[in-house]
Amino acid sequence: MKLLVVDDSRVMRQIVIRTLRQSGHGDHEVVEAENGREAFEAVLAHSPDLVLSDWNMPEMSGIDLLDALRSSGHAVPFGFVTSEGSPEMRAQAEAAGASFLIAKPFTPEAFDEALGSVLGARP
Amino acid sequence: MTATIDIGLADVQMLVEEVWTSFLGADEPVLPAIEPGTPGGWSAAVTISGGWEAQCTVWLTEGGARAVTARMLMCDEADVTDDDLRDALGELVNMVGGNVKSLAASTASLSLPLVGHGDLTPASHLDEVVRLDLTWLGDPVRVSVHTPPEGADR
Repeated sequence: MKLLVVDDSRVMRQIVIRTLRQSGHGDHEVVEAENGREAFEAVLAHSPDLVLSDWNMPEMSGIDLLDALRSSGHAVPFGFVTSEGSPEMRAQAEAAGASFLIAKPFTPEAFDEALGSVLGARP
Repeated sequence: MTATIDIGLADVQMLVEEVWTSFLGADEPVLPAIEPGTPGGWSAAVTISGGWEAQCTVWLTEGGARAVTARMLMCDEADVTDDDLRDALGELVNMVGGNVKSLAASTASLSLPLVGHGDLTPASHLDEVVRLDLTWLGDPVRVSVHTPPEGADR
């Protein structure tokens, strides 16, 4: 499967990709984007099976990316990986069509649980 | 109307320890400093605005900042560039600020992080309501939360 990791921080993209490996999801192909606008283009170009996106980014935020994808008819599964995990943000994410929200700091177990709900349990 | 919200020292300390343990390893935890030092070196800040106003700031020494960055990137400290360092410290304070914002349970917005070599002194109209003087790998670390004085005209 193909995952799109979206974060304006190169450090955090590396940590997310490392955590994917630690959670048993290291076999997936990973594509990276630095902001929502770049990610929108990457969804068109690469047709990922899941988007893992930060919320707060320059150029285009994660929630604006999700809105743009849904408005243009893209149903790609979408999850947030963000430093804010308040009930209000979780509700906003769910209302916009996100499958999950992983709050930073996170654990490999949190990744496995969230990704398993979208990609199916690992064999 | 901006809300006045009490942020507890223990709550901030717990979330800082969680951030440190999760991203920098449990083998070298960040600990309360017995003798608070002045970190100098680098500072990183995020502001919270809207329903609640605050600034969260993390100060680190040059060596501490490079060690944080190297651990987050899993590379040698000698390979850390200043761009890497700004990126890593920005993520660190972003996590602290995001979690402080969640503690406040208020509808507010978190800024993108600002990272600088030197002291990102908060705006003069803000009071320090939390200061954590910590130590990590023998270097001083300071985390602070500033908010407007109660009853201040904003």
